[in-house]
Amino acid sequence: MKLTRRDVVKAQAAAAAASVAGISLPTQATNLIASSEDNRIQWDKAPCRFCGTGCSVSVGTKKGKVVATHGDQLAPVNRGLNCIKGYFLAKILYGRDRLTQPMLRKRNGKYDKNGEFTPVSWDEAFDIMAEKWKATLKAKGPDALGMFGSGQWTVWEGYAASKLMKAGFRTNNIEPNARHCMASAVAGFIRTFGIDEPMGCYDDLEHADAFVLWGSNMAEMHPILWTRLTDRRLSYPHVKVAVLSTFEHRSFDLADIPMVFKPQTDLIIANAIANYIIQNNKVNTDFVRQHVNFRKGMTDIGYGLRPEHPLEQKAKNAAKAGASEGIDFDTYAAYVADYTLEYAAQESGVPLNRLQELAELYADPNRKVMSLWTMGVNQHTRGVWMNNLIYNLHLLTGKISEPGNSPFSLTGQPSACGTAREVGTFAHRLPADLVVANEKHRRFAEDIWRIPEGIIPGKVGAHAVLHNRLLKDGDMNCYWVQVNNNMQAAPNMNEETYPGYRNPDNFIVVSDAYPTVTCEAADLILPTAMWVEKEGAYGNAERRTQFWYQLTQAPGEAKSDLWQLMEFSKRFLTDEVWPQDILDANPDYRGRTLFDVLYRNGNVDRFGMDEVNKDYGNHESEDFGFYVQKGLFEEYAQFGRDHGHDLAPFERYHETRGLRWPVVNGKETQWRYREGYDPYVEPGRGVQFYGKPDGRAIIFALPYEPPAESPDDEYDLWLSTGRVLEHWHSGSMTQRVPELYKAVPDALCYMHPEDARERGLRRGDEIKVTSRRGEIRTRVETRGRNKPPKGLVFVPWFDASQLINKCTLDAIDPISKQTDFKKCAVKIAKA
Amino acid sequence: MWSRMKQGLARAWNVLAKPSVHYSLGFLTLGGFVAGIIFWGGFNTALEAANTEEFCISCHEMRENVYVELQETIHWSNRSGVRATCSDCHVPHDWTYKIARKMQASKEVWGKIFGTINTPEKFEAKRRTLAEHEWARLKKNDSLECRNCHQFESMDFTAQSQRAAEQHSTALASGEKTCIDCHKGIAHHLPDMTGVPGWE
Amino acid sequence: MKKLLALFSLLAVFTLAAAEPQVANLRGPLDLTEEEEAPRMAREVNDDIRTDRDYPMAAPTIPHKIDGYQIDLKANKCLSCHNRQRVEESQAVMVSVTHFMNRDGNFLADVSPNRYFCTQCHASQLDVDPLIDNDFVSMDELFDRAAESH
Repeated sequence: MKLTRRDVVKAQAAAAAASVAGISLPTQATNLIASSEDNRIQWDKAPCRFCGTGCSVSVGTKKGKVVATHGDQLAPVNRGLNCIKGYFLAKILYGRDRLTQPMLRKRNGKYDKNGEFTPVSWDEAFDIMAEKWKATLKAKGPDALGMFGSGQWTVWEGYAASKLMKAGFRTNNIEPNARHCMASAVAGFIRTFGIDEPMGCYDDLEHADAFVLWGSNMAEMHPILWTRLTDRRLSYPHVKVAVLSTFEHRSFDLADIPMVFKPQTDLIIANAIANYIIQNNKVNTDFVRQHVNFRKGMTDIGYGLRPEHPLEQKAKNAAKAGASEGIDFDTYAAYVADYTLEYAAQESGVPLNRLQELAELYADPNRKVMSLWTMGVNQHTRGVWMNNLIYNLHLLTGKISEPGNSPFSLTGQPSACGTAREVGTFAHRLPADLVVANEKHRRFAEDIWRIPEGIIPGKVGAHAVLHNRLLKDGDMNCYWVQVNNNMQAAPNMNEETYPGYRNPDNFIVVSDAYPTVTCEAADLILPTAMWVEKEGAYGNAERRTQFWYQLTQAPGEAKSDLWQLMEFSKRFLTDEVWPQDILDANPDYRGRTLFDVLYRNGNVDRFGMDEVNKDYGNHESEDFGFYVQKGLFEEYAQFGRDHGHDLAPFERYHETRGLRWPVVNGKETQWRYREGYDPYVEPGRGVQFYGKPDGRAIIFALPYEPPAESPDDEYDLWLSTGRVLEHWHSGSMTQRVPELYKAVPDALCYMHPEDARERGLRRGDEIKVTSRRGEIRTRVETRGRNKPPKGLVFVPWFDASQLINKCTLDAIDPISKQTDFKKCAVKIAKA
Repeated sequence: MWSRMKQGLARAWNVLAKPSVHYSLGFLTLGGFVAGIIFWGGFNTALEAANTEEFCISCHEMRENVYVELQETIHWSNRSGVRATCSDCHVPHDWTYKIARKMQASKEVWGKIFGTINTPEKFEAKRRTLAEHEWARLKKNDSLECRNCHQFESMDFTAQSQRAAEQHSTALASGEKTCIDCHKGIAHHLPDMTGVPGWE
Repeated sequence: MKKLLALFSLLAVFTLAAAEPQVANLRGPLDLTEEEEAPRMAREVNDDIRTDRDYPMAAPTIPHKIDGYQIDLKANKCLSCHNRQRVEESQAVMVSVTHFMNRDGNFLADVSPNRYFCTQCHASQLDVDPLIDNDFVSMDELFDRAAESH
């Protein structure tokens, strides 16, 4: 055994102590921490801070510090496993440059847009914020305010933020970064089923006979689900894995049917499979007759670019992108009849025999199929269509809502489902799938929130990409960013995001744990408590809601987003923000702070400090004097109970490793819409898609339409962006963990060796990746985990020193408003 | 048709079998010598041509499978720029072995013509068999083609990683192992390794 | 002269306005709109020196090169040294016993298929220094601190 200096010192100290006490120590005990008290670690559960898989983690604390983390053996999601990021979770709290006090840009002791960041008190921070907010409200009204949150907000943080914006300031200009991530999945669900989120669950992974990845690199992005899929594939040799992508990546290592397709031709492939199912008489006619309607979607819908862009001028139906009309089965069959497998092979570049194998997976009635997808499908200018087209295949064959037959949309953020979607922190949403445009829904929300009728505005707010355009144009002037790094994440940074944040008319506030590039572009930075430094709740991709306690103290003056939101609300009187006529009609609400009417409303403050678990801290409740998290959760839960979104009582989630909603009579629901599994299905119906009034899901006739930007003579390569396994999103947490940083320190441009050779480049050469909008400097990688075909390059976006979103295009899906980060045109030259 | 061909063949045999009436013995000897050189040289030149990478990858089975895989490896690109071409590893430098290998290789050409490996799927199905041929050959000749470049006597163990030096100075030095025993799949993707010793 | 002074002061104001206060430490001293030379690609650490783990459950990093290692449906290069029946010959560390447990916690005869893709948890390290230090305190350090304060 090798002894370090520290070991020797430790042994000497123990020996000295023993000799003083007059006892002799057994020598072999000196390299163990012998005392049981010293050896004890306090273990608690918490969902992982990273992706939407929602693994449960055992968090070890000792003397107030998080000292260890490992996969939670009791958790059904991950059964003791973590991915590499999860194993190093303990360290994300301790990057040396944690933000510990508010910082304001100042010059000569005063706020100045071009000043230096100067430490200030929370009071001063909120003073200047309130001053700016009030001036803007007065000058331009509530729609000049905006908030950009996240699928990393806890459930109650998102809920409190939504209330503050929609009911407090009376604007729907609140968006989560989930708009960049999940919006197409949401719109896909709503269009096809009328209710958001998957009908199936992760248990499908142990039941399917075939897995089809439609634009998802699960091996890197959902590693723990990939372990479950791998387990199934390797344990049961009849199981097949089909992987579709625009470039070869790690998920191809398990692929029986590997397919690299030309960008955007996934639309053709999906239609061709539907056509194959029809042509080969493999339609489950009983299922289709009983449970399905057919509609034809609007086409030529544009790309959500600025209205003056030629592509928008050209698009005929941009204004009614989501419209559709009813058709019958025969019309649908005729619609897809042109999409033969031969045509799909020709257009996509995928060999015909592989497309046949793929189509047969869906067509074979004896094979249970799980389709899985993430950003390849969602970050797509026709992302909603792609979601609809995948559902088509499952609906045509009836392969849905039962173990192993499952179209499953994976999520990227820990609470994209739990917070962004279920709480509804989008510009058009309210909790539990309600929408602001529906007056009844608004009344229902106002009733639960105990605020006067008419407070919640009916006008749908600006979507994420539009936020940045409005900031740039000076139409949105006060902006608060919480738990995300949108300067790095949003598309077209040079032309939209950066000029928007640095527009002299605007005041930008960023709450974060670390100084990100978004912080650098801000005017005020607020230090934020993260993860287990607060009590929290996340909801994962399989509808599982998971809770955790505050396990440690945040450093310095850092406070949770929840505390910041609620504390800030104290600075506004209803008289300053609500219209006179409503106050006249409801004089009881006069002269009260937004904190009073939103959070001290008799609901949120219903549970006293005596209900807070004494074994754990709770910095928000300690400050506000009531059990904030429980109050917010129980008020929020009123939206979904008896409406298909039932949540269990608050305490239950602290006891379990999460429950999948709807939780009815104490029981979670694994498969929705099928009798025997889902309590909401009426007896005798068998299958009931109760999100739609007639209980029928919709098969959509939708065509291929080209991408917004394709390579040409000058910009001759496709650029696809994405993540890597070792870093999560923009890397602000994982780049501060030495083991993860040293595994993948810098972004690289993955390209085909022949593309490199043709440009006189080789591995390691420094290059400029240039689009019409901007450029970055990076290095060529022709080997390693990603193998793009000729004509396409891949650059990950985690690297703050190589901001690839300077190059990306802010083209969006016109229905979901989600950006296509996977397709734009670039050129590459030696730097 | 068949009888006509038989007639032609018989006539040709007669000519060859008859002793020469027109040429001196000396001329015939010298001429035979010259023709031999021409024939031999031509054969070897043709063989050499068949050893070039251009020749190997002129069929798509090689170009689109193993050749692409080679390009990801250290035998294609490395710090000193010494690069192995197909024949360096796959064609014995010794003449008799070379001919034997060429005859074997022509089976793969046969495979191309008759379509046993003409799609990626079929190539994958045969990958194990093809790989096993190479492993067996290298095992039998003590990894001769590896050793043409990587000479045991010239290895500086101090310049190797600890792990490599350990194995090279024991198992390789004693002759217990030969290069291919451990270095399978270093230039091309491995086939399904089920049952291969060392890959249990 | 006055004109010149005015020009200078204008320039001063301009440079002040252009110089951003830089807080985004992962970018270093660089304005958001600027592009710096991309760092050279570092080499994989290949010294075979195993490093301490901050806690026993942390997945160990790989102390050697894995460039070109094949882990797919056909072969797993890592297991050809690290599997149970390979370590005598390879003298490599055997995969941890947890890797033989399936999802239900039962031990299998061989490495569990759900652990097949080694690189999901284990990564080799490149020869670079961390950009930002991490102040994580391990249990041992806490123990030492407690011992010192006694």
